[in-house]
Amino acid sequence: MKDLRIGFDVGGTFTDGVVVRGRQVIAKTKSITTEDVTTGIINALDKLLAQPGVEASRIAMVSLGTTHTTNAIIERRGLDRVAIFRLGAPATTAIPPLTGWPEDLKEAIGGSGNVHVIRGGSEYDGRDIVPLDEMAIKKACVAMRGKVSAIAITGVFSPMKADHEERAREIVLNELGDGVHVTLSHRIASLSLLERENSTILNASVISCMRRAVDAVKKAMKQKGIDAALFIVQNDGSVMSADYAVDYPIFTVASGPAASVRGAVFLSGIVDGAVVDVGGTSTDVAYIVDGFPRESSITVNIGGVKTNIRCPDLMSIALGGGTIVKTRGETVYGLGPESVGYNLVRLGKSYGGPVLTVHDVAVAVGRLSQRLDIFESDFVTHPEKVQALSPRTVEQAYSLVKSTLETAIDQMKTARGDIPAILIGGGALVVPTELDGVSEVVIPDHFEVGGAVGTTIAEIGAYAEGVVDLEREDRNNAIEAVTEKAKDNAAMAGAVRETVEVVDVEEIPFTYMPGKREKIRVRVKGRATV
Amino acid sequence: MGALDTVKAWGARKYQLIDKQAIKEITLGASILATGGGGDPEIGLLWSYKVLDEGKEMVMVDPVDVPDDVLVASPACLGAALVLTEKPPSGDVLNVALERLQRYLGQRLEATIPIECGGVNSPVAYAAAAELGVPVIDVDGMNRAFPELQMTSWVALGVHASPVASADDRGNVTIIDTGEDDRLAETICRRAAMAYGGISWIASYPMRGLQVKETSILNSQSIAWEVGKAVYRARREHLDPVEEVLRALKAARGVEGYRVFRGKIVDINREFGGESTKGFTLGRVTMEGIDDFRGSFAELDFQNEWLILRVDGKIRCLPPDLIAILDSETGEPIRTDVMRYGYRGTIVVLPAHERMRLPAGIERFFGPRCFGYDVDYVPVEELVNR
Repeated sequence: MKDLRIGFDVGGTFTDGVVVRGRQVIAKTKSITTEDVTTGIINALDKLLAQPGVEASRIAMVSLGTTHTTNAIIERRGLDRVAIFRLGAPATTAIPPLTGWPEDLKEAIGGSGNVHVIRGGSEYDGRDIVPLDEMAIKKACVAMRGKVSAIAITGVFSPMKADHEERAREIVLNELGDGVHVTLSHRIASLSLLERENSTILNASVISCMRRAVDAVKKAMKQKGIDAALFIVQNDGSVMSADYAVDYPIFTVASGPAASVRGAVFLSGIVDGAVVDVGGTSTDVAYIVDGFPRESSITVNIGGVKTNIRCPDLMSIALGGGTIVKTRGETVYGLGPESVGYNLVRLGKSYGGPVLTVHDVAVAVGRLSQRLDIFESDFVTHPEKVQALSPRTVEQAYSLVKSTLETAIDQMKTARGDIPAILIGGGALVVPTELDGVSEVVIPDHFEVGGAVGTTIAEIGAYAEGVVDLEREDRNNAIEAVTEKAKDNAAMAGAVRETVEVVDVEEIPFTYMPGKREKIRVRVKGRATV
Repeated sequence: MGALDTVKAWGARKYQLIDKQAIKEITLGASILATGGGGDPEIGLLWSYKVLDEGKEMVMVDPVDVPDDVLVASPACLGAALVLTEKPPSGDVLNVALERLQRYLGQRLEATIPIECGGVNSPVAYAAAAELGVPVIDVDGMNRAFPELQMTSWVALGVHASPVASADDRGNVTIIDTGEDDRLAETICRRAAMAYGGISWIASYPMRGLQVKETSILNSQSIAWEVGKAVYRARREHLDPVEEVLRALKAARGVEGYRVFRGKIVDINREFGGESTKGFTLGRVTMEGIDDFRGSFAELDFQNEWLILRVDGKIRCLPPDLIAILDSETGEPIRTDVMRYGYRGTIVVLPAHERMRLPAGIERFFGPRCFGYDVDYVPVEELVNR
């Protein structure tokens, strides 16, 4: 019987892995993340398979949260050479593609020699700006044959009307064959041409990178005798099938924090409130609405490039277990942003070291007295070593930790009133559990591997967008039409269409324009097909 | 002849070459003075960068150095901000508008004048001038951002928006000549923009150098520049950006700005679209006080830009005086189109320029009654001290 799900969360320091049966976590591990990422995953997999009751033949599903592609972009490593088509001339030429990109990243994807601004694109009301210049696309293809492996196509107003992008893809595939991978912008992001185009180009640049990672994990699964579906976590915390993820790697850039949020929801049962993920050097505060992370409404910068892909709305603060407490005499005047990071065991006061960290303060106030078995290193604390600390310093430091956290949580709220907060992550035990503005603090079981648990939930997420003129069309009909499109997208990402339901409907008015036009955006989720 | 040659031919002494850093600072300063409106300046800024990368000269000249008889006009984008972010302009669309206005007038334009301080139209006046090879004059027509074409000191002092050349990227041009009826010019311009696909690129307010000097908000570009520099300085040296902005305004414009509130947005109520609102986003934002303002509430009404500020029910600022909400940490202005729940900021109010405070302008074009409020205009310095 296949009744197990395995989830991995590949972080910068640790690769966490869990085995889940139903709602129960039956095995967990924290392994060191390796440079090639896959080795770390295989190590974690080995450890999990060695635990009682975890048999390869019982595994129905493997899921993975990873920022592998984000790192490739940030480090400009192993990127595809990308040909860029913009369908928008004679408009849009004042700001050509790749404007404002860092030079080294431009270079890493093949430079601006592969940029083509073509006549085409749509107006907001669906008219062509001008007919698509098909000949120009064909000519450009001849020039780039053999020089690029991925193509990014972005048409003006394509999120409303995608026909020019679709036609351009047909032409490109005809000219260059199936060997190149084509990314269309309307499948990547929403309105705002330059940011959507950037997102599309970045997506195209990490196709091979994602494909290698997925192939490696699939191969490892096969070697271990695991015959199961593989899923990858998306930025909103839902998952997509690995084969779909190969086409849309940009949707995984924020999968780490997103998985933590979903894990916190799963483990605590709380679906509205704040999730506080405390690490060694920083803490991410997210806000959950109906069990999913709230999305950021501002542009997201990836590797120095402005994008408009949907990512969780996070507030990152420099507060973690290893964060250094700054003192002048007995007076505390600041927290961080410096952290001792890996060196906590060597440098922290509570281990006999010279530096006072948030971890040591937690030990001194009696908050932290237990050992976390799951860590491979010795995180046993020595309370006797912090007895020499000035009570005044300890008290001030702990109250600064408290107020820093309270302000961060408060800034994430959308309305007045107290909300519950879920504490997860390796550093969850170092922060106070009494917080102003918080109705209750919950630290669920398995909090230290919350991200890995979050990957196993297997809800497929998707969205769609449209524009409606409320003076001409019925609002409900318009929302219904966009919802159907979103459900189709969810099915393509691996969901059972009948189980797909609406997560939220967003309406954004067009400004400085007569009429009652607005953009409608519908997010949906559904059960995975396994 | 390039922009630099032009100002030299005028015998100008007070002019500045604008580089990337300068246009970035001017744009940020103008966005702060834009009172929450004007749209995202990013498109105009990137366009300016590209023009500078191509080696074109960007020159700003003091109005005192502009000969009385030269002909100038204002290039701008008019239409839906959201369409602009999806459909950036072609490199020559404003040239087309300026060319066609020249042809209609039968005379050459020798400089551009920014229509407003704020949003996309600040850097656009520079990019267009550099493309055309003419200087930008250190003035604007509003001293802030306002939603409609006729809401300028130029109109208040008897200079008219018309004739206007309105272009789209396909090369279509509409010449709008409504004589002295500036409101009609606004109406037709907006309809033309809709017919084009949501936005238009206009060349309007053709006037002589003498008229520029007599009716503009003088040196407003330099003032915006000082404000922008102050914010970047505050970020670099970890100073209070709000304090630095107020100090820069005092030094550059000789006005006292007031820090009237600090709080976070706890409610946003939007009304939008439809004929009743003329296509503008209307609404009200409520901020709850923090720190020294705990227990107080501020309400701001907006129509694309912030219009009226009430603190604990008392009016503290009315149009055309300026309201800005600045992020307390970064000094970044919070725009009406991107604000959201939980935003924290400091509200700053400023007196409008004296040319925006003339009774005729306030009564007919941009005072409280022009936005549907049944209250008389009272200067902000009196309201704050009441």
